Amino acid sequence: MEFESVEDVEQKLESVDYIPSREIATVVYLAVASRKPILVEGPAGAGKTELARALSRCLHRDKIRLQCYEGLDEAKALYEWEYAKQLLYTQMIKEKINDLLTDTDSIAEAVDRIAEQEDAFFSERFLLARPLLQAITAEEPVVLLIDEVDKSDPEFEAFLLELLSEFQVSIPEIGIRKARHIPLVILTSNNYRDMSDALKRRCIHLYIDYPKRDLEKRIIELKIAGIEKRLVEKLVDTINRIRELDLKKRPCISETLDWAQALMLLQVDELTPEVLSETLNVICKYQADTNLVRANMDDIFN
Amino acid sequence: MLDLVLKFAQSCREAELRVSTAELIDCAGQLELIDMIDEDQFKATLRANFAKSRREQKNFDRLYHLFFHEMRPDPTVAPERLENGGLSKDLAELLDQMAERDEANPLDQAIMDFLAGDPLPYLREIQRIENQAEAPRHQLKSNLGQLSSRLEVMLRINRFRDRIRELPGEDQTPSVSSDRRRAVDHLIQRLNTANRMLTEDTRPYNEALQQVKNYDTHYADLGEKPFASLSAKEIQDMRDGIEELVRKLKDAVTRRYASRNKGMLDVKKTLRHAGRFQGVPVELKFKDRPLRKAKIVTLCDVSGSVWSAARFMLNMIYSLQDCFSDVKSFAFVCFPTNITDIFEKNEVNRAIEKVMAETDIQFDSLTDYGEVLYQFHRDHLHLLNRRTTLIIVGDGRSNYHNPREKLLEEIRAKCRRVIWLNPEPEEFWGTGDSEMNTYKAYAHEVRPCRNLNQLIDFIEDLVL
Repeated sequence: MEFESVEDVEQKLESVDYIPSREIATVVYLAVASRKPILVEGPAGAGKTELARALSRCLHRDKIRLQCYEGLDEAKALYEWEYAKQLLYTQMIKEKINDLLTDTDSIAEAVDRIAEQEDAFFSERFLLARPLLQAITAEEPVVLLIDEVDKSDPEFEAFLLELLSEFQVSIPEIGIRKARHIPLVILTSNNYRDMSDALKRRCIHLYIDYPKRDLEKRIIELKIAGIEKRLVEKLVDTINRIRELDLKKRPCISETLDWAQALMLLQVDELTPEVLSETLNVICKYQADTNLVRANMDDIFN
Repeated sequence: MLDLVLKFAQSCREAELRVSTAELIDCAGQLELIDMIDEDQFKATLRANFAKSRREQKNFDRLYHLFFHEMRPDPTVAPERLENGGLSKDLAELLDQMAERDEANPLDQAIMDFLAGDPLPYLREIQRIENQAEAPRHQLKSNLGQLSSRLEVMLRINRFRDRIRELPGEDQTPSVSSDRRRAVDHLIQRLNTANRMLTEDTRPYNEALQQVKNYDTHYADLGEKPFASLSAKEIQDMRDGIEELVRKLKDAVTRRYASRNKGMLDVKKTLRHAGRFQGVPVELKFKDRPLRKAKIVTLCDVSGSVWSAARFMLNMIYSLQDCFSDVKSFAFVCFPTNITDIFEKNEVNRAIEKVMAETDIQFDSLTDYGEVLYQFHRDHLHLLNRRTTLIIVGDGRSNYHNPREKLLEEIRAKCRRVIWLNPEPEEFWGTGDSEMNTYKAYAHEVRPCRNLNQLIDFIEDLVL
């Protein structure tokens, strides 16, 4: 087992610069121990994808990522036959095939002869493995990140079910490919649509919220080297007040980090309304949000 | 421990949080792995297994708090202390008395169990009240069914409270009476909890709700004017504007079709064409993958001012019919009427007139969203599937009728997206008889839609 306890998860994740809350650590620990996929939900920028990245780093596993989108199908996600290569090969070894058929008498015999060679054409050589097949057939255990699964079609979701419960893939021409190692699967969702019950049932669920104040402070101190404690304090206060406003897109931890980075670059050591106003475009991604924050500047700084 | 978790799972099921046996088994296995003394870990484990989406977490958190905090036996009122004060005997007597009078009302029994630390029957009663469906009566409409059932429970709780307050008394030994008082306080506390559960807000977390507020200015003056205050001339201008927009959108969609992603290699086709080049596959042919078209079901409030917004939306949707695989429409005031046929057989503007003139919609009755949802759910649920986008146009003003929002939750589960367009400005949502904030928790997207600019923005999002 990769992790010994929940505390162990916390330590290992922290060693790769990801500070998890107790809930995150518990769920990760359980998922790894019971070999179940994790379905992560949460606002954009809360660190869903980052969690997968951190896990792959601290478990020293490769990360294979599948970005979902509308219209994603099996050929893009699982495997595809390289028809072009197959045709090219057929052309190149045409004479060899002719040789093979020289001493046949009837067409039926010729067909049989060719059928014997079928394996050569439907072999791994011509199989183009896409992320899901790669994850399953990898020599070493991997972390498989299925990002924004809510953007995919319902059909794809159904097909994912088979993979997530059996960890095997059947390729008609070759047979069943069983996973050498069960990958650690992380699915992320922004809740664009609700996932089916069947998929939810196969996963264990994790909701990553905006981090609590102390956690956020620790994260900033860890990620932005040399930042002053006083500034961090003020920064987190301000960000939390901004989050209370009725914004279209509330600033997440990633925005906080960008902002802290920007302040460091600008060599700001005192957070004033002017500074906020100048750097607001780092925090707010919509013009309307920027205006709203400007209008509430007094509340934020009192 | 397993017993406790099982019991908790049962309570969850009573409160309509679906927990499957498989999930229970997983959870039991996982509890062995963690440090159960640490509540964070314990709660995280239960939550990860029982509530499988953010929406369900609200319900879970509520139940968890009830079950593991409020219903936890208070160590200061251990059973023997209750015994010591003779309270359990008194309680049993109390129930007997009440039972005699009321012929063992199940509700009293449920409250009694709740007092004894078993919330199951009480949760069941509350859920029953919540799901209580009223038989639609056309003459005299009452929306008080749920309210009066709740009131009844509250009255019963109050009666219990009075009776329990009377309990301590006879035995005046200081040690016994302080024990009894503490036990009584504890019981009163539980009754308060029971009371609170009746009025608690059970709306799910809906942070993923897309609440669109801004819009682009497509038309300067006309675009900003509320639909409700348009003159006849402006309506004509508006139609021209819509026509122009529809043309533009259709062009955009056609372009997209032309450059759609190529699908997989079509071997059959490629080999057929290879024949022209002596069997060399010079030209590769791909399987065309048609773009997925959305199915649309619209549910339009046609009472009063809302109709002006709904008609323009219908106008656009039907002008763009080619862009969708199927469009079904319903109009409602107090029950939904299928107007798909009218729109399919007539030109759009003609159809809008016909809806006003030739359908059985009762324009003069009071809007009742709960009833509309109920009938839509009963008669037309089969129209919805995972490809359907349900668009509801309405102000959510339900004349204080029961909103029946749980039905919207079930409808939501059937379709891809629920989008609610509200022709009222956002400041008025939730004021007076508006149930907008209630319904908001069950929609994927809500947006104000009171002028052409907002409508155009919406349609563009929908089509492109």
